[in-house]
Parts: sequence; C-alpha cells; structure tokens
Amino acid sequence: MRFSALTALLCLCALWSSAAQAQRAETVETDVSTRQIAIESNFSGARLVVFGTVTNSRQTAPESGVYDLAVVIRGPEQPAVLRRKSRVLGIWINTRSRIYQNVPGYYAILSTRPIEEITDKKILTKYGIGFDNILVERDTPDDPFRDAIIRIRQKDGLYRHSDTGVAFIGKSLFRATVDLPANVPVGEYWTDVFVFREGKLLSHSSTTIDLRKEGFERFVFNAAFEKPLLYGIAAVLVAILAGLAASAIFRKD
Amino acid sequence: MLQIYLPIAEMSVNILVILGMGAAVGFLSGMFGVGGGFLMTPLLIFHGIPPAVAVATEANQIVASSVSGALAQWRRGNVDMKMGTVLLLGGIAGSFVGVQLVKLLREMGQVDLIISLSYVTFLGVIGGLMFVESVRALSKARGGAPVSSRRPGQHNWIHGLPLKMRFQRSKLYISAIPPLVIGVFVGLLAAIMGVGGGFIMVPAMIYLLRVPTSVVVGTSLFQIIFVTSVTTVLHSTTNQTVDVVLALVLMIGGVIGAQFGAAAGQKLRGEQLRALLALMVLAVSIRLGVDLIVEPGELFSIGALQGGH
Repeated sequence: MRFSALTALLCLCALWSSAAQAQRAETVETDVSTRQIAIESNFSGARLVVFGTVTNSRQTAPESGVYDLAVVIRGPEQPAVLRRKSRVLGIWINTRSRIYQNVPGYYAILSTRPIEEITDKKILTKYGIGFDNILVERDTPDDPFRDAIIRIRQKDGLYRHSDTGVAFIGKSLFRATVDLPANVPVGEYWTDVFVFREGKLLSHSSTTIDLRKEGFERFVFNAAFEKPLLYGIAAVLVAILAGLAASAIFRKD
Repeated sequence: MLQIYLPIAEMSVNILVILGMGAAVGFLSGMFGVGGGFLMTPLLIFHGIPPAVAVATEANQIVASSVSGALAQWRRGNVDMKMGTVLLLGGIAGSFVGVQLVKLLREMGQVDLIISLSYVTFLGVIGGLMFVESVRALSKARGGAPVSSRRPGQHNWIHGLPLKMRFQRSKLYISAIPPLVIGVFVGLLAAIMGVGGGFIMVPAMIYLLRVPTSVVVGTSLFQIIFVTSVTTVLHSTTNQTVDVVLALVLMIGGVIGAQFGAAAGQKLRGEQLRALLALMVLAVSIRLGVDLIVEPGELFSIGALQGGH
C-alpha cells in the first residue's frame, strides 16, 4: 500500500516537472573539442568533436527523436574562379570561367537525419544548411559551375556531409565528430548548431575555431609572403650550401 | 607515416615518397649527366603539387644539384667563364620575361596548359632528335666507324653575324648574339618549365656554336647555377611559389641518388646512354601529351583569385 502511494507520488512529481519543462523553451549550449588548431610540419589533418546539450530537454531517452540537430562547420570564405575545359583543336583547355565571391574553404553538414526531412527549404536556405543551400548566388536552378565546386571539394575531402553524423548520447547531451583533412585552408572556422522540433527551429548556437600555421610552417609561410626577396635569397643560399656540402661529402679526388 | 606539411604548396605529403622521387631522378641525372628538372617537374605535377609551385621549387633544387656538378667541372678547368657570362646575361633577361609570363598565365588560368604544352613540345622534339641520332651512332659504331659530332673548321651562317668576341677557353671567335639568344631562351625555359635547360643548351652549344665538348657541360652548369638562382628569387618575389621545405627534401634525395647514378653511368656506353635517355624523354612527353588529348574525368577546376591567398 505504502509502496504504491510512493509510486503515485513519484509519478505525479515527474508529470509536474515535465509540464514545467514544457513551458520553458529549449535552448542549445555547445562547444568544440579544440578552439585552436595548429598546423605544424607533422600536420596530417585533425579531428573535431562538436558537443552540446539541449537544455530543458523533453526527451526521455537518447533515441526518443524529439529533436533534430544540424551541425554546420564552415571554413574561411574566399573568392574563387571556376574554370571549365573544352576541346579546342584536339586538346582540352580552360575556356569558360565564372567567379564566386564567397566560397567556403571547408564545409561540413552533419545531422541526425537527412536535412530535407528535418525542416523546409526556406529555413535551410536562410541559414545555409546543406550543400544545396550554399553558394546560391544566382537564381538559376541548374548551375554546373556551382555543382562542380561541391563535387571537386567533396572529392578533396573539404566538403563533407553525414545524415547520421549527430547523435544524442543522453536525453539532452549530443555529439558530432568531423575530420579536417591535411589540405584544409587556414583561417577562422565557424560551427553552428541548429536544434529543430517538428520542423521548427528552436535554437541556434555558434562557436569559432581558429586554424593557423604554427612554428616553422608559420615562419616559412610568413617569410614567403611578407619578405619575398629575403625568402628567395635564403632559398638560393640554402641550395648553394646543400650543393657544396654534397660535393664535400662525396668528393672522390 | 612520416607525413610532412609543405607550407607553400599547402598540402601534406609523405616525406619518403618525395625523398624517393628526388633519389630516382638524382640517379638518372647522375647516370646521364643531365639536370633532371625535366623529369622532376612532371613527377611533382603527377604527384599533385600545383604546377606553378612545382616549377618554382624545382628551379631552387637545380641550384643545389648544379653547384656540386659545376664545382667538379671547375676543378678540371672545364668552364669557359666568358661564354658562361654571355649566356648568363641572356638567361637573366629570359628568366625575367618568363616569370612575368607565368604570373600573367596564372591570372588567365592557362599556366597548367602552357607548362604541359612546353613540355610536350620540347621533350618530344629533343627526345626524337636524340633518339634518331643515338640509333645512328649505335649502328655506325657497330660498323666500326668512329663517332664524332664535331667538325672543326666548318663554317655556318653564325659566323656571318656582327659583335664578334674571342672565347679563348672554347677556342672560338664568334658573334656574341647566338650565345645571348640561346641564354634568353634557356632563361625562359627555366622560368616556365622549372628546368636548368641543359638539354637545350648542350646540343645548341655543340651543334650551333661548335664549342668543344669538353667545355660544354661545365659552362652550361655554370650558367644554370646563376639562371636558376635568379629564377628562384624572381618566382619568390612575383608568384610566392617557392616551397623551401619541398626543395630541401628533393635536394637531399637528389644528391644521394646522383652519386649512385654516376657510378652506374660509367658501366654503360655513351650511345646506349643517349638512346636510353631519349626514350625516357619521349615517354614523359607522350604521357603529358596524352593527358592533354584524352577527355579529363573532371572538366571543371577551382582556382584562387590573385590576392586571395
């Protein structure tokens, strides 16, 4: 008897608290595993973990599926020129080109399920979520140049997507893992986490990551671009010394 | 394993692969007595290094390999300084024009095409000529006749040109214009193709200028050191495409390979060596030519706008 009364009380408490939670809106708090990534001479890529928590979660278990998450990791944007080859006099040469002003050097979209199923196109376009919703500078439905950027960058490992890349590991805690290949451009990266419930955007949170060359790599790169004359002369001196050293070591007479 | 990040090429490569490439080309250049730039630059491009970086970095590496070669020739007194200086003056002018041309072509998005076309043309022509010549020499040698390419005393149109100079070491009294023009041409090739230009300069000096064979190699190496040095500095200031990390790894591999190559080269006969080299030159030319003709798997390419580095 006492036992069932206690159970009833507990149930009531749970109901009350979930009702209270329902009144409070969910927000998302996120962070990344590394806020600064250094490119040094042994750099061969990096792994990034984006994690966070949905506060006031209504989920009872990780697999409840109340919330949908989309995580976008975006590298520095730069203007790029796209060129297309055609056959001229028997050889393939660049003939047509088009310039795009803001091409992300890196772009990853991870989500709990395919983003088209999560929400409608308007929201995806507004926040630039997914390959179909970035680089849309012109209102042409078919843009072979834009498609080529995404195709080439995907092949280089610089644009990535995973429909199951974000997973809840508790009723409110989630994580997503993404790899940055060795050829990533340096600069500032943004991670944006979007939380949806029934297609509605509940919350949005943003973190920045600084990816920079460090140590010797930074020294060489800066020298090449800031003091190109000295850099060139130094390169020649290194070569002359290497040549002299070689003939001193291997001299036979 | 043993990945190394190249700061200018902005990519990660396996240090052993690059060392191996340097050693393999060094071996061949030690064996044949050529610079090896014409093999190294295409290899780097096949490996995914951006062509503009490959060309500029290779010019830097050639400085190292020609210093040790030239030093050995210098000790034997095989360098015609006067001839070398005239060739060099032309070379500096040619390199200057070539580097500006590379800059312009990069902006136009045609630099890869022009580098490939230059390779196909020059390697095809030189390889073809060398092959025909060495096959002839081989069949002559089999017949027992002595092989000689130099016919002293024979005059050609070059002797009619003005601005005559005396080149004591080469025992020549000819116009300064032909060596100057050859120099300009070699400087252009150094800047656009990332080669020392020995494969053009050596035959030109032997067949056009009639410089004695003993002096040709030393003088050409002497000129190559300076032209590739100037080219390295100009590429650094104009295009920022010299990757010293890549160059240093190539130098180490190249030096080691060259020692073994030189030993191997002494076991083969001159005509056989030339026939082998000709075949290799032709093979590189054909490979690059096929890439231009066959429809590429990806018709599009992404390039950075200048200044957006």
